[in-house]
Amino acid sequence: MKASATNLNQTQIAENVIDRCKKGDVRAFHELYNAYAAAMYNICLRMTNNVSDAEDTLQEAFIQVHKHIGKLERDASISAWIKRIVVNHCLNTLRKKKVYFEEVEEVDVMAEDGIDEAQFSWTVAAVKSAIHGLPHGYRTVLNLYLFESYSHREIAEMLGITESTVKTQYMRAKEKVRQIVKQQNVTR
Amino acid sequence: MPDNFESFIQQHRDEFEGPGPSPRVWAALEKDLTEQRQGRVIQLLRKNWFKAAVIAVLMINAAAIFYFTGHKRHQQQELSAIPPDLQEARAYYTTRINAKLQLIDAYPVNELGLDSAARQELQLRNDTYKALEKELKNNPGNERIRAALIRYYQLKLDLLDKILEELQDRHAAPGHTKKQYEVEI
Repeated sequence: MKASATNLNQTQIAENVIDRCKKGDVRAFHELYNAYAAAMYNICLRMTNNVSDAEDTLQEAFIQVHKHIGKLERDASISAWIKRIVVNHCLNTLRKKKVYFEEVEEVDVMAEDGIDEAQFSWTVAAVKSAIHGLPHGYRTVLNLYLFESYSHREIAEMLGITESTVKTQYMRAKEKVRQIVKQQNVTR
Repeated sequence: MPDNFESFIQQHRDEFEGPGPSPRVWAALEKDLTEQRQGRVIQLLRKNWFKAAVIAVLMINAAAIFYFTGHKRHQQQELSAIPPDLQEARAYYTTRINAKLQLIDAYPVNELGLDSAARQELQLRNDTYKALEKELKNNPGNERIRAALIRYYQLKLDLLDKILEELQDRHAAPGHTKKQYEVEI
């Protein structure tokens, strides 16, 4: 089943599913998993950049969901809560792979001369491929901001770097994507 | 203001989503959760093996008593009040058991390490007790039922004593020294 990113917050699960999960009902937990697995797996795949790591990370994240669901407050958003656990696990997976989210010198990143977006076409496949080819640090910031809709401040807190570094890395990541997509257009 | 790239992502956001994970993720997850649950039960049993064993003995004993008294029920038809000597014994044991239950209830549930069924079994007026009492009312002269009820009281007292001892060894309740505990009993 394909995930829907825009409808994640509206994902409907039966009212009593969370209560049953809190009581340790594995069947209810399976329902919860089925409701969110696809969207969460896509986050893992974008963040870790490979299927094996994405599956392992998703599994570990859902073990934590199962372990801590009893602490989830009644009014809290289950989707935002699960997503945050998943994202944290993705970041842990990256850290285990020695990916460091380092401070960078704040510079004004301008669009590279000669990149005229009107000269080439954006396609989903080209953008996916370009993001896939980004260094881990850039890709992480770009994914968290563009696809997971976290603010620069939230991303800075998650990665333990300053907000200005996040902004700079995001600008650089975008620029890099533009360059790659342009290159793909040229070689086509 | 979003640039062309950001606008493109926003417009095509859902197209960046792919299929979900393979079924082996849930299979591995389910296996892991099952192992964790079994591990917790074993850990709980290991931690409270004595209480679990005593409760099991108590329940088996109660079942044996039921079986025996069930055979005798039809032999005794006469209905009358509980004999005074047994009423006295009942008052004595009830007071002691309730005092110990109160002490146990003062400990947090997680420290007791007993599930609701086990806690229910600790209570004096559980199903076993009620059935025994009913049997006795139906067969007041039956010595075996009387002995069974007294035995039930004693077993329950022993169990509560052992649980209290273990709880006190593990964690002395604030303001409760062993001496105070003995005085209260």
